[in-house]
Amino acid sequence: MLKYLIVQLDDSAPSFCHYPDSEREPKLIPLDTLRKGLLRSMKENLTVQFIYPDYELPNEYAALIDSVYHADIVSVKSENSGLLAGAEVIVINSLENLENFKFAEGKAYVWRTSISDFLKNNGKLSMILPRIDRLNVVFTDVANFNDSLKVNYAKALDKLAEVIVAEYDRQHPVQLNLLTDRILLDEMNNCNAGDECITLCPDGRYYICPAFYSDSKNAVGDVNNGLNVKNPQLYRINHAPICRTCDAWQCRRCVWLNRNLTLEVNTPGRQQCVMTHLERNASARLLENLRNNKILGLTKVLYGRTLLYLPGLLFGFEKCGRGCK
Amino acid sequence: MIIRFSKLSIMTNLENRKEIIMEEEIGIKENERGWQDGMSKNITFIVTKDCQLACKYCYLVGKNEKERMTWQVAKKVIDYVLDNEKQFKEQSVIWDFIGGEPFLEIELIDKICDYIKTEMFRRNHHWFDSYRFSFSTNGINYDDKRVQRFIEKNIDHLSIGITIDGTKRKHDLNRIWKGSGGEEQGSYDDVVRNIPLWLKQFPDASTKVTISSADIPYISESVLHLYSLGIKEVNINVVFEDVWKDGDDNLFEEQLMILADEIIDKGYYKDYACSLFSDSIGKPLDAALDNQNWCGAGKMLSVDAAGNFYPCTRFAAYSLRSKRPVIIGNVTEGIDENLLRPFLTLDRITQSPQECIDCEVASGCAWCQGENYDAAETDTIYQRSTAICKMHKARVRANNYYWNKLYRKLESEGKRNDYDTVSKKSGSQSC
Repeated sequence: MLKYLIVQLDDSAPSFCHYPDSEREPKLIPLDTLRKGLLRSMKENLTVQFIYPDYELPNEYAALIDSVYHADIVSVKSENSGLLAGAEVIVINSLENLENFKFAEGKAYVWRTSISDFLKNNGKLSMILPRIDRLNVVFTDVANFNDSLKVNYAKALDKLAEVIVAEYDRQHPVQLNLLTDRILLDEMNNCNAGDECITLCPDGRYYICPAFYSDSKNAVGDVNNGLNVKNPQLYRINHAPICRTCDAWQCRRCVWLNRNLTLEVNTPGRQQCVMTHLERNASARLLENLRNNKILGLTKVLYGRTLLYLPGLLFGFEKCGRGCK
Repeated sequence: MIIRFSKLSIMTNLENRKEIIMEEEIGIKENERGWQDGMSKNITFIVTKDCQLACKYCYLVGKNEKERMTWQVAKKVIDYVLDNEKQFKEQSVIWDFIGGEPFLEIELIDKICDYIKTEMFRRNHHWFDSYRFSFSTNGINYDDKRVQRFIEKNIDHLSIGITIDGTKRKHDLNRIWKGSGGEEQGSYDDVVRNIPLWLKQFPDASTKVTISSADIPYISESVLHLYSLGIKEVNINVVFEDVWKDGDDNLFEEQLMILADEIIDKGYYKDYACSLFSDSIGKPLDAALDNQNWCGAGKMLSVDAAGNFYPCTRFAAYSLRSKRPVIIGNVTEGIDENLLRPFLTLDRITQSPQECIDCEVASGCAWCQGENYDAAETDTIYQRSTAICKMHKARVRANNYYWNKLYRKLESEGKRNDYDTVSKKSGSQSC
């Protein structure tokens, strides 16, 4: 069931997720299109999330946006300091910006990074995590992950887990999506684009998520004629044969990555599975450390949690050459 | 000496035993199972996209005379497959040759097969002596000297199916010569002359009959005609494409009942088999226990003249009406495992609409992954086409009639209990 409407306000709005930054020239969503989209969101009880361009919006847009309940996703490069100060999600693309940013309490920050930069610089996060309440690390090149990086990725996660334990110990329950989401979740918590979430883009068309905006052929309806998602069941977890039995609940299950890597929106590429499995196992070790250090009480939800460390990386269908499960 | 039996060989032996009991003790000819009961790797060479015929129901919409495989590409394919033994762990292999018409490229095929044999021996590959060469041919060139030489050389490792659709009028309705223009020229006479030679060389050979809307009225006479030619096993399928007209299902059912009467009344069931009738079809399927995919796409590997890999031939460009080809790799870069994932994880329930999941006669209802993909509303293999739904239901009704009538006859002859015992024992579980 649809719950969220993402509105990309401008063609040039920067990416906040796995997909690359837009190379388009600035072009605002027409005001009438925005109005129609927001009307729909109100009629269908959708929570709206706006993705802003870096330049300041005209007043009439700001007024319209302010007429609905919403959350703001803003790049750290935004020229609108007021917007940046109030935004719920702030997107940061470079480590330098991340290191120098003055984080506010209770906000979520997104660090978009390549895998190699993360592996090279993750040590610097030990200086950042104490100053931040929530950091989402989003990889911009998941397709480049390969088996030779597994050991280093697991080591990096373990190092970050040590920082988190220390933060918990000093009464600061910092959240790092790669490690703490899994131990705080009770069930799969995916992006759910196409199922719970849909995106309205400046061309007046709906897309599964902003990543699909690169090609208008990917549109799944428009503001005048409504939504028309074909094969909608394929965006649901129960129609994802690999994911529905997986317990790496922190995985974004990115349908755009899925389609790029496997040609099917319901099937993840191996890279995504391996990375999230390593995160899941690192989360299991983190939980064990928190328990051993008797600092679970800080987040009561962690009491009684169990998460077994699963060393294998084989998925059911890979065990048997014939694809049987 | 210790003799080791693998699970596969034990299962195959049990199945063979069942077939022997069914045929010798009870007197019902069963449909042959595929070699190694489908447990082998199937590697398909699309050696040419050319064919002498232009069959009206052919799903190959992009046939042409230009795309012929070269020796260089074929050699690269073989080297890739044999170099990557760990990737191809199946116990056995079927090297399949398809077209168009594969025997148009018999010289290339001969060279390929010689190289495969030599290399498997030289490498001490686990497929050495556990392989077949398989062909599906229109039969026109079957008596060609080069083809015959090839058959003689490889006969112990060869499966050849000649496609003959039945009586002359049924066969010539669809299987016509290419370029016959206004005056369609059927190919029946050019094929039937080779049937005796084929059956002499392969007495247990079967043929594959394809049914489209126009040829429903000729099904019964065609199956009986094929029996009369000495073909003991006739495998029939209706085309998966959405070609069916109102009333086709009733006509189909009618034809199958006529055929059922003929087979039972004249005792053909003792020595001949027809895949339309099977005592396992037409039952509800359990969502958890019977959730396997029907189709083997992705578990096989198909390669074209350009050296591109496909999960099955049906995903190559020349097979697709409206979709992009699904290329899962090539001879230079190998197989992209990510692109295979959707195929290896496909199951029945995930791709089926609710009406199929709830269907009370679901068992035996087939699908073609390539046709599903081609007909789907989006670029997915996860949307099952239901174009043959009413034809399957018609088949089930006729099939029920067939088995009720046959069981009653067996009972009157005191053979029913034997049949039930053998049937129950044969229930085997796949991996």
